[in-house]
Amino acid sequence: MATISTLRKELDSKSISSVELTKEYLKKINEHPELGAFNTVCEEEALSLAKLADKKIANGESSPLLGIPLAIKDNICTKGITTTCSSKMLENYIPPYNATVMDKLNAQGAVVLGKTSMDEFAMGGSSQTSALAKPKNPFNLECVPGGSSGGSAAAVSGGLCAAALGSDTGGSIRQPAAFCGIVGMKPTYGTVSRFGLVAFGSSLDQIGPMANSAEDCGIILNAIAGQDIHDRTTRSHNINFNELIGKPISGMKIGIPKEFFGDGIDDEVKTAVINAAKFYEENGAELIEVSMPTLKYAVSAYYLLACAEASSNLSRYDGVKYGLRTESPESYDDLIKKSRSEGFGTEVKRRILLGTYALSSGYYDAYYKKALAVRQQCRLEHDEIFKKCDVMLTPTTPTVAYKCRDNIDDPVKMYLADICTVTANIAGIPAISVPCGIDKDGMPIGFSLSAKRFDDAKLPQFADFFEKEHMHPVANI
Amino acid sequence: MCKKYDTVIGLEIHAELSTKTKAFCTCDASFGGDPNTHICPVCTGQPGALPVINHAAVEYAMRAGLALNCDINRYTRFDRKNYFYPDLPKAYQISQLDLPLCVNGKVELSTGTVVRIHQIHLEEDAGKMVHDDYHGQSYADYNRCSVPLIEIVTEPDINSPEEAAEFVSKIALYLKYLNVCDAKMQEGSIRADVNISLKPAGSDILGDRAEIKNLNSFRSIQRAIESEIARQTEILDQGGKVVQETRRFDDATGTTSSLRSKENANDYRYFPEPDILAITFTEEDIEKAKSEIPLLPHERVEIYTKEYGLTDEDARVLTSEKYLSDFFDETVAIYPMYKNVSNMFQTEIMRRVKETDSEEIAISAKNFAKVCEMADKNTVNRNDAKTIIRIMFEEGGEPEEIAKTNGFIVVEDTEAIANVVDALFAERPDLIEDYKNGKTNVFGFFMGQANRALKGKATPMSVKAYLEKKFNEI
Repeated sequence: MATISTLRKELDSKSISSVELTKEYLKKINEHPELGAFNTVCEEEALSLAKLADKKIANGESSPLLGIPLAIKDNICTKGITTTCSSKMLENYIPPYNATVMDKLNAQGAVVLGKTSMDEFAMGGSSQTSALAKPKNPFNLECVPGGSSGGSAAAVSGGLCAAALGSDTGGSIRQPAAFCGIVGMKPTYGTVSRFGLVAFGSSLDQIGPMANSAEDCGIILNAIAGQDIHDRTTRSHNINFNELIGKPISGMKIGIPKEFFGDGIDDEVKTAVINAAKFYEENGAELIEVSMPTLKYAVSAYYLLACAEASSNLSRYDGVKYGLRTESPESYDDLIKKSRSEGFGTEVKRRILLGTYALSSGYYDAYYKKALAVRQQCRLEHDEIFKKCDVMLTPTTPTVAYKCRDNIDDPVKMYLADICTVTANIAGIPAISVPCGIDKDGMPIGFSLSAKRFDDAKLPQFADFFEKEHMHPVANI
Repeated sequence: MCKKYDTVIGLEIHAELSTKTKAFCTCDASFGGDPNTHICPVCTGQPGALPVINHAAVEYAMRAGLALNCDINRYTRFDRKNYFYPDLPKAYQISQLDLPLCVNGKVELSTGTVVRIHQIHLEEDAGKMVHDDYHGQSYADYNRCSVPLIEIVTEPDINSPEEAAEFVSKIALYLKYLNVCDAKMQEGSIRADVNISLKPAGSDILGDRAEIKNLNSFRSIQRAIESEIARQTEILDQGGKVVQETRRFDDATGTTSSLRSKENANDYRYFPEPDILAITFTEEDIEKAKSEIPLLPHERVEIYTKEYGLTDEDARVLTSEKYLSDFFDETVAIYPMYKNVSNMFQTEIMRRVKETDSEEIAISAKNFAKVCEMADKNTVNRNDAKTIIRIMFEEGGEPEEIAKTNGFIVVEDTEAIANVVDALFAERPDLIEDYKNGKTNVFGFFMGQANRALKGKATPMSVKAYLEKKFNEI
């Protein structure tokens, strides 16, 4: 699969034009409707952006993403282009403004191919809760691509775009990246602006790249990261995400938290991930055992925090200002009740109810406040761990991608599958998922690396080191 | 007659801050404008939009807290208050629950009652619904959405409707002095919720309370409380129990009616606002806010009485509005004849501005000081000075120019006095004879004639002196 860095060389040497490249991807998107990767394809806009990029390239301009065709998760606001969150509620919603990351991509001259499908409002790990396009796994169309950024994962893995943006609240970039055999990175909370990212769990959400290489992830992050006056949770930082690539890893320490390798992790996954760790060890890194006792509370705490925030964030969809409005309501109460009943799917409703309950008077202390305490403890444990090691290595997912029909009726089982990814969000640390082989059925396996807050550059460094010796699996598409 | 019940009143005052921009976006926060013209993705709650706190709003709230003797919480945080209403686009209000900006303040009333302030917190206003009954349509106007508000919450220390009205008007006046709120009740920039309960006289146990929401004039605050006291008295007299509930006041009937009971109260599901970082204040922040507090009414009264020698009554009148007091201060800074300026100010300036709604004084303090000085020094006579002020109000202009054009300048021309008086004596030898015969009242005739002829050239005092000299020589 062509990486951004190879395409950059081809574009700058004019062996291919951005228009030709864009047409190629658009053709492939049209040829693979079965992947269900896109809610909206912006053919005209993409071609005009590509033309503009070609003009700039002809003028000798160059920037890392100039003329590179990308796909954008459909919960990132694009001015004038529908942003649906794969929900009936926002099926026709056209934002009057651009997310900060879109302004930054535009400034670099990137080409936006379209908006990718996802779990409704980013709630899910299969992308099958989408009310619009339901994306499939390019390695096996009967399997889920993961979620919630499943459309972006399927698009990158299926070769429908050079790279994509996803969003990650509890693993929504890393888990689909692992399921689809690509690289996905959630940077430190506060490195990338959330302005224009339709909020799910505000204290956990972070936008990040999904791409064919760790270096590509760094290229995109270098373009979209930075403090934003519109998002006061962003921090001032000067991270060059790719500056450590190529630097030796020998002598560096990798923490292996034993709790992530217990029961419930599939044997084939465990083996592949341990082999990845061994690879680093063989190349001079030191493996050390670390411990994260709060892991057993992490999923519960995560769902309480994320759902509590979501219950508030999603209250604005009341049928009054924009979005779905029920026909002939009898009163204001009737208007909100019916609009929300018709507009939201089952999983979204379930999480709104869960979050509303957790915040209700009389339950707040028992649920929300306890979850905050777990979060605090989890952060302290991470601080301790990263005093001992540079990065931590874990599986990204307990299993490989499952069949579309599986798990869907068992929300608790689905939630528990997030066990390996949620702690990074709770602690606000950066984490990257890298492919490390396939299982007996040919489904990709991924391992994750995480680091302390704002130590993001170590992740492309370690991931790139692994990639140099291990080809990513390629979908037969 | 002995009072049977004690009244216990607590207030929540909502005051819109007069910042240029809204609390969490850069939209214009001024009152008015066509519907939905002061809006943006943030204040209309578009998906993905995020609030960014307006530092001016924080500083204004802090200033109010310091002036009302509050402590500033060194660590303050925002919370979301969740409820559905069509004028609230995000379906939550950004407010503060347990770590408000200011706590533990107090204000003393003229009755000697000290009203403790529990807290002052910063929050955002909602929009406005416009109902078209004819077509059965409702419209939302989001211009007011996210305008910064402070909510001042008192302890239940107020004992009568009069005290409640005094407290609210005192707060309104202070906020105006602080330049943090224009306190225009008719524009809704100050509103109050009132909590009232009765208890047996002298008892320490509080009764069940009713809350009356959204009172928007000093008068309706007082009337609503009076009516509620009467209602609760009647219930208690008949052995009944006051229901804890929220009530509304109807201005037309002067009575309150039930809005919702405690059982149906909203559960606002407060939780910390994740989009706004908590604020940690430094000592410098607080010192800076303190330094921005202007002299407050009671401090100005002190100066006016102790340093300027004005009466208590005069001092209170002059400080009844900030713009009046500011104008007076500006005048006496140029011309420090406090008593004279105060008199002229009250009769000539206050009378005129009270006739209009505006808080603007059409003439400058510099010109007013000049006129006061001209009158005191007899450059013009006092009545002409008043005319000059009237002309400046009506047509503008500089005081000296007006005095010259209208011939108000008094010139002490001794030669002219002699000429005029001598001529009069020559004209009326008959009256001189009368005077010699003891009819001294002819003096008045000469005085009147001379003054008329000498208008603008001599003061009556000089004329009188010359006349007296002349008659003595007879």
